[in-house]
Order: sequence, then C-alpha cells, then structure tokens
Amino acid sequence: MAVAPMDTIAPVQPPEHRAETGASRSSRINRHLLRLPFYLLSLTMIAPFYWLLITVFKPPRELAQTPPSFVPKSPTFDNFYDPDWTGQGVTGHLQGIFQRYQVDLGFWRFLFNSLFITTAITVGSLLICSLAAYVIAKHDIKGRRTIFLMIVASMMVPWQTTLIPNYVIMRNLGWLDSYAAYIVPALAKAFVLFFLVQFLQSIPNELIQAARVDGAGEWRIWWKIVLPLLRPALAAMSIFIVLAEWNNFLWPLIIVQSDEMANVPVALARLNSYFAGPDHQGAIMAGGLIASVPTIVFFLIFQKYFTRGIALSGLKG
Amino acid sequence: MADIPMRSRLRRYGTSYAMLLPFLALFAGFLLWPLANSLYLSFTKFDGINPAVFTGLDNFVQLAQDARFRHALGNTALYVVGSVVLGTLLSLCLALAFNGTGWLHRIMRTVFFLPSVTSSIALMLMWKWVLFPSDVGLANTIVGWFGGNAVAWLATPALAIPILVLMSVWGGMGYGMVLYVAGLGSIPEEYYEAAKIDGASTWRQFRHITLPLLRPVTTYVVVTGLIGAFQVFEAVYIVFSTGANTVGGVLDSGLMIVPYLYDQGFTHFRLGYASAIAWVLFLIIFVLSLVNLRVGRAMKEL
Repeated sequence: MAVAPMDTIAPVQPPEHRAETGASRSSRINRHLLRLPFYLLSLTMIAPFYWLLITVFKPPRELAQTPPSFVPKSPTFDNFYDPDWTGQGVTGHLQGIFQRYQVDLGFWRFLFNSLFITTAITVGSLLICSLAAYVIAKHDIKGRRTIFLMIVASMMVPWQTTLIPNYVIMRNLGWLDSYAAYIVPALAKAFVLFFLVQFLQSIPNELIQAARVDGAGEWRIWWKIVLPLLRPALAAMSIFIVLAEWNNFLWPLIIVQSDEMANVPVALARLNSYFAGPDHQGAIMAGGLIASVPTIVFFLIFQKYFTRGIALSGLKG
Repeated sequence: MADIPMRSRLRRYGTSYAMLLPFLALFAGFLLWPLANSLYLSFTKFDGINPAVFTGLDNFVQLAQDARFRHALGNTALYVVGSVVLGTLLSLCLALAFNGTGWLHRIMRTVFFLPSVTSSIALMLMWKWVLFPSDVGLANTIVGWFGGNAVAWLATPALAIPILVLMSVWGGMGYGMVLYVAGLGSIPEEYYEAAKIDGASTWRQFRHITLPLLRPVTTYVVVTGLIGAFQVFEAVYIVFSTGANTVGGVLDSGLMIVPYLYDQGFTHFRLGYASAIAWVLFLIIFVLSLVNLRVGRAMKEL
C-alpha cells in the first residue's frame, strides 16, 4: 500500500494534542476559549436540522401557528401517513408524504426508482471502469497512453456541456422517461477510471504474471484477482457514485416526463412547487428526511473508506 | 514478450480491446460525440424540433449583449468568490480547531460533515422552510426574538447572493475540513519539535510549517470549490425559482450560469443558444482545471 491507512476521520497523529503535553492549565483554557466561536458555529449547523426534525412531527395546524413551537405540542406521524385524511376539505388534515402522489405505490415508487437507478449505475460503472482500468494499468497494448490521456482530459469538461446533445440523443433513441436514460449515459465515469488506474499502478505485477503462467485467462484474472485487490478503491468510489446519483437532479429533471419515472429529488421538487403553505411543510420535510436516511446509513457503513477516499483525492491533488 | 507465439499474442490483445470496449463505446457515445455536437450546436439556431440552422457566431454575439446573461455571470462571479473564500477559510479553521482524537472533536467533525452526506434536495427544501417569509419560519422567529420584523428573505434581491453563499458554505465546509484534517495528519511531528527547540512561537510554527505544507490541500479545496461553485443549479432552482420564467427568483437576483442554461434550453427551447452558454461554462472550467494542473506541477517541482 502506497497510502497510510486512515481509519476514521481522525488524523494519524493529532498535532493539537502533541502541543498540549507540556501545556500549563491557563493555556489549555485559552485553547477552549479560542474554539468558542466554532462551538457556536456548530449550533448553526444543528439548528436547521433540528427545525426539519420537529417540522416532520408537527400536525398541519401547529405548523401554521406563530410563534412556532420548538418541541412539537402534539407529535404525530400524520406527515408520513394521515389515516384521518379522507379527501379535500377535511379541516386540520392534509395528506402525508405517502399519500401525496397519484401514482401506484405513491412515494415508495420514487424510492424504488432512486434505489434501482443508483444501484444499477454503481455496480455497472464499477464493473465497466475496473475492466478498462485493468487493461490501461496492466496490459501492454498500443495506444493505451493516448486513451488514458484523453479520459483524464475529459475530467476537465463540466458535464453540463454535453447536457443538450445528450438530451437530443435520448429523444432520438426514444429513451426519454425510461430507466435507460438514467443509467446508460452515467456508466463511463472518467474519474472512477482514473482513480482505479492509479490504485492498480501501486499493485505489483507478480500476482497477475503468476496467474498468467498458471494459464488463467484475462477475464478470470480480472474477476478473481484484480477485483478483490481493488476492493478498498471500489468501496471509496462506490460512496462517491452513490451520493452523486442519489442526489442527481438536473439530468432527471430534463429526461423525466411522466409522474412515475421521477427519482426522489425530482418528486420532492415537484411537491415543493405545488404546495407553498406552511401547513404543507410537514409532508415535504418528511420526504426530505426519508430521502436522507439511505445516504447517511450508507456513509456510516462505509465511513472508513469514504474518509480515506476523500483524503486520497485531496492529498494527491 | 517476444517469446510468446504470435497467435496467443493476438488473442491476448483481442481480449484487451474487448475489455476496453464497453467503457470506450459509452465514453465516445455519451461524452466525446455530445461534446463535439454541442460545439456545433453553439453555432446554430436549433429549437429541438426543426433541423439546426448554421448561424455562425450569432449566438455568441447575442450572449455578449444579453443583459440577463451578463447578470447571471456577475451573480455567479460574486457567488463563486464569496463561497470559495469563506468556505476555504472556515474549512481550515475547523480542521485546526477539531483535529484531535477525543470524543468532543469527533462529534464536532461529524456535526460539520453531516450536510455532505444528507440528501442535497432535502437541504434545499429545509433552507426554503427556514427562510419562510412570515413569522412561522425559523429565521424570522429568531429575528423576532431580537425585536425585528419578519424579513422576506427570498424576495429581497440584495439578499439572494449572500443567502446562496451562506447555504453553500454551510453545506461544504465540513468536506473541506475533512481534507484539511487529513493534510494536518500527514505533517511529520519532528518539524514542530525542531521549531520549538529553536523557540518559534505557535503563530510562526503555523505560518512557516503548517500553512506551506497544507498548500496542496488548499489548492485542491480552492480549485474543486471553484469548479463546483460555477456549476451551481439546485440551490437556485429549488430555493429561489418562483415559476417557469423566473428561474433566478425575484428580478433574477439569484440567476446563475447553469440555471440560465436550463431556462434557455428547456423552458424556451433555444437549444443552440443554450449550447453557446454551455461552452462559455466549459471554457471557464477548462481554464481553471489547467491552472490547477500547472499549480500542481509547480508545487511538485518546488
């Protein structure tokens, strides 16, 4: 490994604490005083999240009241699903997030769309990019340098530049409003290939050579040797891909036409444009909360790889 | 490799190209070709239905005279400078303040990092609700505690860019903090010990050891920050847009490059004109990336 492992967000050696070993009490108090503005700043981080959380559990009537309560007076799950809502015009009751959409399965449909699209893109792009990275890093073929340079250069292109032609391509293929339009254009990711090539270059060739001598085919070597070796790199990349695709908004906004093909962000944006009143915010925030759970859980599971991946990208530039 | 017979060598190369093919085909089909195509479209009049008509430099001449586009560029410039300068500074300060291994520092780092792993659309909707124009919003409730009247946060043109900068810094500084913490962890302890023996003050240690050694991280944070900030779309579209023709909010006060591209391309269906906007964005980001490469190389030579 060319990289010092970083197991958590914690650094290997905290310089701050080194300085403290011989520190007197007064300088330690000074240290805390110096941090005071940042403790206060952390409150501004927590406040909007707290606001979102209490909103989710307030009934519509309470949401429209001033001044707003900072602990829900009559906490309820109605913003997810309100059993008492029977139709328009029932006072004090509005639809929960799972009742808002006129499509089969309601909000579940969008969660499924997002989950399916994100999974397909993550798995597909890691397979396709790792195959190409293996060839570029470990095969001695003509033109691999040129190909690699071209792919690295493409990382300087903002993807919005290709937005309009890609939209036209989707329309000509008849793919608008389909899973294919979400998935296929998103598979060849230059930055993933670049990262995997760099990682593979730090792996010695002997393992692969030995397998070749044993008569293993290239596909088998890729599947049995290269992919397992790449595991930490694939984990780091998968988090970047999952976060980006789960939050993808502009592209879906353009290719989605029907109600049922929206992903979670597009579905929530539509809700937001239809309902502006404060009493509707409970259902909208509930949707936002549900949308955030998968990425937070995913991050917690793969935290180790994620911070390592961020650190790698930053330290190498 | 010369001892390998010709036939198996052919077969091996065939396999190599077969393995490259899926990536290259998709890369060519959805990146290279669209890129060339968008360059061509930027010199045409194209509504997406009738064939594109070549108009030479018309789109670019029009862009130069387009008051809305200039407004979008000016807004974006202000937003980029504000969010990158503030964001980088705060990232560094947070990393210096909370780079320990104790529980308090860890909790603090988690708190600041939370927006980076939260659904971005949820954050935007949350902000919109926090900045609600009447007394039911959080921001106006706090203003009320200090005796102020409710502010129409999102309908006050002078506040649009500051609010967008605030949202960006709030959401991004935790990510930069993690990068800086990693950078701090890679500085050898001996440097500080040597400086202490020489009697260097804390400030001088920071000024002559920490800061110069963090330069690669700073470059990365600044350049990726710039590139990301130029591409801002969601914050404008979700928080400020009030209808089909006011994508930038009241008086276009929050209008930026990508929202304007979207507005021209997908609400007015001027796909040629929007492609010209896309190429202006391309040039800005390409130049920034080149600067990044050159800065990076210069750093390596030092």
